[in-house]
Amino acid sequence: MPGMDRINLNAVETMKIGGRMTRRLLKGNEAVVRGAIAARCNAFFGYPITPASEIAEVASLLLPDSGGIFIPAESEIGAIQMVFGASAAGVRAMTASSGPGISLMQEGVSYLAGAELPGVIVDIMRAGPGLGNLGVEQSDYLQLVKGGGHGNYRTPVFAPNSVQEMCDLTIHAFEVADRYRNPVYVMADGALGQMMEPVEVPMTVSVQTEKPWAVTGEAATRKNLITSILLEHEKQEILITKLERKYQEIEKNEVLWQEILSEDAEILIVAYGITSRIARAAVELARAEGIRVGLLRPISLYPFPVKRLRQLGSKVYAIMVLELSSGQLVEDVRLAAGGITPIQLLRRTGGMMPTAEDVLQALKKMESESVGSKA
Amino acid sequence: MGESDRGDIQIAADLCKGCTLCIAACPAKVLVQGEELNRLGYYAVTYTGSGCTGCGICFYMCPEPAAITVRIRKKDDAVSDKSAA
Repeated sequence: MPGMDRINLNAVETMKIGGRMTRRLLKGNEAVVRGAIAARCNAFFGYPITPASEIAEVASLLLPDSGGIFIPAESEIGAIQMVFGASAAGVRAMTASSGPGISLMQEGVSYLAGAELPGVIVDIMRAGPGLGNLGVEQSDYLQLVKGGGHGNYRTPVFAPNSVQEMCDLTIHAFEVADRYRNPVYVMADGALGQMMEPVEVPMTVSVQTEKPWAVTGEAATRKNLITSILLEHEKQEILITKLERKYQEIEKNEVLWQEILSEDAEILIVAYGITSRIARAAVELARAEGIRVGLLRPISLYPFPVKRLRQLGSKVYAIMVLELSSGQLVEDVRLAAGGITPIQLLRRTGGMMPTAEDVLQALKKMESESVGSKA
Repeated sequence: MGESDRGDIQIAADLCKGCTLCIAACPAKVLVQGEELNRLGYYAVTYTGSGCTGCGICFYMCPEPAAITVRIRKKDDAVSDKSAA
């Protein structure tokens, strides 16, 4: 197989721990597939797009050997509808793409949510709008977190910031998707998809949950109906109320975040994904210069860590939002902590990345400006 | 390739999509985005010509299977393939 040499080159198996965990040097995109297989994902439908193509490449190589199927779809629209079909049959299914492909999938994601079907969609973001370029951006935030499709639905979104988390959060996404019967996104960018780090891949993690609602072709499931068409208005409202309750549960139970040196912080940086790594370096640089900076990294973007951000916001003099999009994450930060503390946005777009030094300079400026408010 | 450089980078300009991930990843900062469009209409990345340490990180970061080749100088000064993908 033409791709095989490249995969072998990338996947350097270094050790095995009791036959359960393997430690490998992996690209972020490959870690997604390894995680999916550990979560017993049995179906991948995809269409290639840089910088997400390796997910489909590796899925085509590994899934058939682990008892699953890989189907190259005719388009992203086809891919998400195939996820719908597999998921309706009770199979753990996924797809992956980049921003332009995710835009095409939005109709299918809405149908998944309407029919209450689980499914995992991985978005390896690139710069936009339009065809944009292959640069690192986080500009799909609103599309994924606020929902890009039609109708009353929400999608949990998990944002890894390392290759290990690309694997772990993919596994987690399958669990959340099954638990709530709802599509779930894993949201990363070109840098996380392409970079290589050591990853501990579990052999298998979760046991397939029972799915009595699925349509498996057997007599027992013949009466199950999976649809998103409810022509009677009353029934549609009942469904939406049920979905609302589900999203309230998700907002209560599925919030994930990470804090670094936030306890005594005077300035708090809020950043997720690849920018949280830049922010972390900037926190260390700032601390070395005596500026007390902390970091809050939302791992789940929906549900957003609103409560914790509000608590921290009331303790700090200012919040800096660091993102690779033109003011998308900052909207959620303002909703959580606006009016409590001043919020400043530092962003680059188009594929440009700020350095830790750039962030440090902005922090110094904020520090000097907040001297007055400290008195 | 500089006199004391451990490695040399060859970029197939017509296969490069100009994502610049290699530029961001290069620890020696010896890659830059070119100013001329390639056959596909992208500004391909180019090697400045010296300073490559032969670490190969650009090769591993590159999403394109055959765009970057890193060659490493052997002890006897001959240059060998690290990654001919």
